[in-house]
Amino acid sequence: MRTPTLTLPKLGVGLAYQAPLAPLLAAAGAELDYVEVVPDILWTDLGREAEPRYIDDRAGRSALEQASSGRPVVAHGIGLSIGSAGSFDTAHVDQVERWRRRLGFPWHSDHLAFHLAEHGGALMNVGITLPLPRDRESIELLVPRIREVRRRVPVPFLLENNVYYFDIPACEMDEPTFLNTLCRESGCGLVLDLHNVYTNARNHGFDAAALLAELELGHVGEIHVAGGMELDGFYLDAHSDTIPEPVWSLLEWTLPRCPNLGGVTFELFGSWFDSVGNERIRADLCRLRTLWTKATRPARRRSVAEPA
Amino acid sequence: MTALAFQTALARLIVEPDFRDAVRGEGAAALPGPLTPLEASRLVTIAGDRGLDMNRTLHKGFRLGKLRALLPLTCNLLGTARLAREVAAFWRANPPASFSFLPEALEFCAFLEQRGLRSVYLAEVLAYERATLELERARVGPAPPQSVRFLHDPVRLLGTLAAGRRPRSVPSRPCLLLGSKDGDAPARWTLADAVSPPRRYDRENAAMTDGGTKGITT
Repeated sequence: MRTPTLTLPKLGVGLAYQAPLAPLLAAAGAELDYVEVVPDILWTDLGREAEPRYIDDRAGRSALEQASSGRPVVAHGIGLSIGSAGSFDTAHVDQVERWRRRLGFPWHSDHLAFHLAEHGGALMNVGITLPLPRDRESIELLVPRIREVRRRVPVPFLLENNVYYFDIPACEMDEPTFLNTLCRESGCGLVLDLHNVYTNARNHGFDAAALLAELELGHVGEIHVAGGMELDGFYLDAHSDTIPEPVWSLLEWTLPRCPNLGGVTFELFGSWFDSVGNERIRADLCRLRTLWTKATRPARRRSVAEPA
Repeated sequence: MTALAFQTALARLIVEPDFRDAVRGEGAAALPGPLTPLEASRLVTIAGDRGLDMNRTLHKGFRLGKLRALLPLTCNLLGTARLAREVAAFWRANPPASFSFLPEALEFCAFLEQRGLRSVYLAEVLAYERATLELERARVGPAPPQSVRFLHDPVRLLGTLAAGRRPRSVPSRPCLLLGSKDGDAPARWTLADAVSPPRRYDRENAAMTDGGTKGITT
């Protein structure tokens, strides 16, 4: 089977938009190339039966456009629940497409998981991303849906590897095999969330570097990095701090090996902005920019700059 | 489709502690079908996994966080212990249904109203926050104006709660708060002192009330 080619513009370093981060975005300079937004915050979904179903948030759009200051905006959704066995919400996909036309997302993404399940004839929203069995059955559920998303939204579509605090036992595939197979068969790319990999490795006791070595990194269109915290014996993907050193190490190894990478996005929940502090966040963004520049420098220039 | 039943059961293990405990205690016998033996075995294993409890913690935090964001004054008034009790009782009867959490906040308001809790100020604070949600909720067309009857000084009561403190001995002040919202601007509240004993009011007769006014923007 021929592997589809992933073609993304090389944007550079991005920051996940949250309203409390607006002062940081306003002060950012050349270290920041793009802004990533959860598109679902730009509208209110009144429910699948409502007409009209979506009410756009004009004030939210205005705030985002002001904060992004003309930088490209990339979409990273939370509402698709592409792994839900019971239903696939094409109206949600069409809503993403409407906003792509407005804001010009060069690519868009969502989570390789489910959060909506049917219960008692209604949809139950768990509010957290739940893992899918890494089985052939899941691949067969996902592939036609991903193709439908790609048909409806004509820019590259990426799915993010999930963070999980329990794993599903007795899966047919390990995680890299599952992700490689899904990308090959569906044509989607990967948001490789290195903090998720680190979190899973730490909580479940495996080698994060070994997992990355098994991934086909040509599928990676975007990398996510973040910081977390400990709670009740778990390390959490809490987006609550700057990037820990082990994640920097994973990034330094991975970044130059992703030929189709469009950008590296730093994620921080807005509620942690004050406690983490502007200086530390900007320092991380600058460090990301240095790594990005080094990894994407054309070979000719690199050979001049680094003769050895 | 057994995958559908598997996902429903997995979600219920997180959302419904009674169901989780039943699966922990009785194993596959507590699981509704149709499930393959592998799916049932996976669910029983997951039910005993510590990671499931972490997911429940995150789920509760996420859901409670939405209520705290949408009903901050009511949550402050209830206090941590009573809020936890009431939320637990509410969640037992109401699975998490909506992606936008405003409907859940409105349902929580209705739930608290019929609980008959002993709190001098709860009815007024609940009515105010419910009216605020009605003003702020996404809709086609303008938000209908709101009126909330207070028996205690609303500026003192709401200001104390907004500052994160519990109100005590708030002076009596029968009055109406009139709320409106123009386009994308924040909701605006105007205080109209009552010059006569409290009377039945609604959106229509609220406009008839006059008296001293004071603008409050939320």
